[in-house]
Amino acid sequence: MTATLPRPVHRAAPRLRRDRRRWAWGLGAAALLVWSLAGAGSSGGGVVNPGGTAQLARFAAAAWDPALDAPYLGVLARSVLVTVAHAAAGTALALVVGAAGAVLVSRAAGGRRWAARGLLAVPRGLHEAVWGLLLVNVLGLDPWVAVLAIGLPAGAATAQVFAALVDEVPREAYRALLAAGAGRPAAALYGLLPPAAGGLLSYAAYRLECAVRSAVVLGMVGAGGLGYQLALSFASLRWAQVWTAVYALAALSLLAELGGRAARRRLAAPPPSPSERRDPVLTAAAAGTVVLVGWSAWYLALSPASLVSAGTAEQLAYLSAAAWPPATDGGLLRTVAGLAVDTVQVSVLAVAVALPGALLLAGPAARAERPTPARRVTGALVRGGLLLLRTVPAPVWALVALFVLRPGVLPGALALAAGTLGVLGRLAAEVTEELDPRPRAALAALGARPVGAWLYGVAPRAAGPVLAHALHRWEVAVRDTVLVGLLGAGGLGALLATELATFDWAAVTTVLAAVVVLTWAVDVVSDRARAALR
Amino acid sequence: MGPRRAARSGGPGVPSLSRRSLLAAGAAVALAGCGRPAAGGSAPLRIGAIPDQDPEVLQRLFGTVSAAVAGALGREVAYTPVTDYAAAVSLFRTGDLDLVWFGGLTGVQARLQTPGARPVAQRDVDRAFTSVFVVNTATGLAPSGDLTALAPLRFTYGSPTSTSGRLMPAWFLREAGVDPEGFPGGPGFAGSHDATLALVASGTYEAGVLNAQVWRARTAEGAVDPAVVRHAETPPYADYHWLLHPAAAGRTGVPDLHDRLVAFLTGLRPGDPVLDLFGAGAFVAVQASDHDRIEQVGRELGLLR
Repeated sequence: MTATLPRPVHRAAPRLRRDRRRWAWGLGAAALLVWSLAGAGSSGGGVVNPGGTAQLARFAAAAWDPALDAPYLGVLARSVLVTVAHAAAGTALALVVGAAGAVLVSRAAGGRRWAARGLLAVPRGLHEAVWGLLLVNVLGLDPWVAVLAIGLPAGAATAQVFAALVDEVPREAYRALLAAGAGRPAAALYGLLPPAAGGLLSYAAYRLECAVRSAVVLGMVGAGGLGYQLALSFASLRWAQVWTAVYALAALSLLAELGGRAARRRLAAPPPSPSERRDPVLTAAAAGTVVLVGWSAWYLALSPASLVSAGTAEQLAYLSAAAWPPATDGGLLRTVAGLAVDTVQVSVLAVAVALPGALLLAGPAARAERPTPARRVTGALVRGGLLLLRTVPAPVWALVALFVLRPGVLPGALALAAGTLGVLGRLAAEVTEELDPRPRAALAALGARPVGAWLYGVAPRAAGPVLAHALHRWEVAVRDTVLVGLLGAGGLGALLATELATFDWAAVTTVLAAVVVLTWAVDVVSDRARAALR
Repeated sequence: MGPRRAARSGGPGVPSLSRRSLLAAGAAVALAGCGRPAAGGSAPLRIGAIPDQDPEVLQRLFGTVSAAVAGALGREVAYTPVTDYAAAVSLFRTGDLDLVWFGGLTGVQARLQTPGARPVAQRDVDRAFTSVFVVNTATGLAPSGDLTALAPLRFTYGSPTSTSGRLMPAWFLREAGVDPEGFPGGPGFAGSHDATLALVASGTYEAGVLNAQVWRARTAEGAVDPAVVRHAETPPYADYHWLLHPAAAGRTGVPDLHDRLVAFLTGLRPGDPVLDLFGAGAFVAVQASDHDRIEQVGRELGLLR
């Protein structure tokens, strides 16, 4: 469950002319939604299953009564360390890969965007869990499995975002340096990097929070840590223990989020300092990050040697021989095509359910300027709820949704919608917080009610960036369908799980190629749509 | 390289090595050149298990098993918990696990991918394992041996490569003339035996099938929802067993490793904590041919290639 977006770029003067293309995109989106809804309803015989409310209640009730016995907490405490180490080392790798990739993709560095996008589509189009299972087959039990599975897809996503951030920087300083005789690398380092630093740092912090969630998904496929404990408790439906693990995970995510937020604030508005010395807080944060990554590498006993060992080469050869050429029999291709349709429908429904929810919750979730105590409590509750929505792993949501819904596209869509709402709600709240507060204040001063002031002073300006975030999440949702495929939700995920379980590697290659192409296509479409929104 | 990898799993519930001995071992490995399966020597025996039932109990108590095996062999034992069937088979193939507690089908998969692997022992109950078909009371079906009554129902299996939750039930359905993939909307895969029970209880699926041992344990605990009733039970088949990697003897420096493991496991007396942990009265020797039927069924159902 990774999200990929820096905060949207605000233009100084919005265009007043309406873009006609938006009508076409709007109609297209509506048609896509109707088609997906039709797909969800077509399974026949009703979609709701009221008999499952008791099971749902058991899951929900355990949230108030998490397992707190000492042995279990001890096991969890050790698992937290593994998860932190995986997340930190994975993020470090993602940032290194991202920085190198950004050089390839960035226009400033002379990169060819479409070519690089094609190159990055492969690591990016595959879910962390899929990377994990593939890497287990090459590296065995090596700790690199988790670090690479987090770092490679996140690195590809980071490359694109970093390149976009650097490309948004005004070019004057860069051109001046070039004109003065500096080489391209030096000009880029001194002319482009410093203005983009804030955005880069902000995205890096965001990546760390995503990595915590990725580490848990990986744990569920066997990489250890919190996710492993969660998977064990989940397999025997010990909901009290599942909730304890979820709370531990939520606490980790929150720490990562708050840390990133504090660093970002400090960078945006440094305290007035008497001298030109460095900000001690930021210096400490940077040093802490380096120490954390170093500790992670030590704790996990990461050794570069195992990446190039003879055993690794041997297993890679075994896997390549088994997986190439891809299976191309007509039956499989027809199945893949049919399931690709399901996958798109699941992802469209997930975003369509999450988007209105995110818009509704953005207001209460945003931190107010001068909050009343009641407002403060509401805000904390909504933010906590969103945090839990995105922390409970998708397979758990899928089973819970399946308690009260008939098997089909819908339970999978709702499972993904829960996580999407968690992320999108938070992003929408941030968009709201960063808007110019004056239109709303003016409306309020003129006597408008709070709801009216929000509808006319906030909603119109927040809609564009939030829609852009939603389009990004659509692509993520397509990848995440792999996680919920098995539990009656169908789609390419179910097929992939079956092929992986029966070790039909040629068919796995075919399905993975389909997933990559689908993710890439969705990325292209959502990119065009975002361009029309700007 | 074993001790380093034991650290990686985070040692959940397993008496793990101290950090100092770990560092020493890591340094030794680094000096030794870090080749994967160290030829010869006295590397620890790496045990793995797919926690299929009560995974939670299994992972906490596996320390008992590790200690017992270590005592019998005079070798260190490292336990690696694995949650994914396919991952366990792959880790056995790559030589990262020496001795694995596999299900019937996963054991055959592992043997086909790792030539030379030998079954060691299985529990007395595994010689004649069964699965239980359950239905939701709303279906109004009376318990009977008739599997054809299940054909028009929404039906769920457990994990896709579970022997007791998928393979053998699918086989017996087919024997009874029911298409094992032909249930309305296609069969579901709940993922675990307990999830199958919960999904049949909720009525999302009207019928399902699970491991008889789990069914009996949950019934004894009183944890089965009254909306779920037993419909039929399969004839017996061979299931779980310990499988030993061909390179394990050389790696651990115990030439007669297979025989010593067989002697240790079959020599356990009733009441031994290891037997209690596995819910068994005894371990008995097992031949590769005992799972020939599983292999044949797996091929016919397209779960083995």
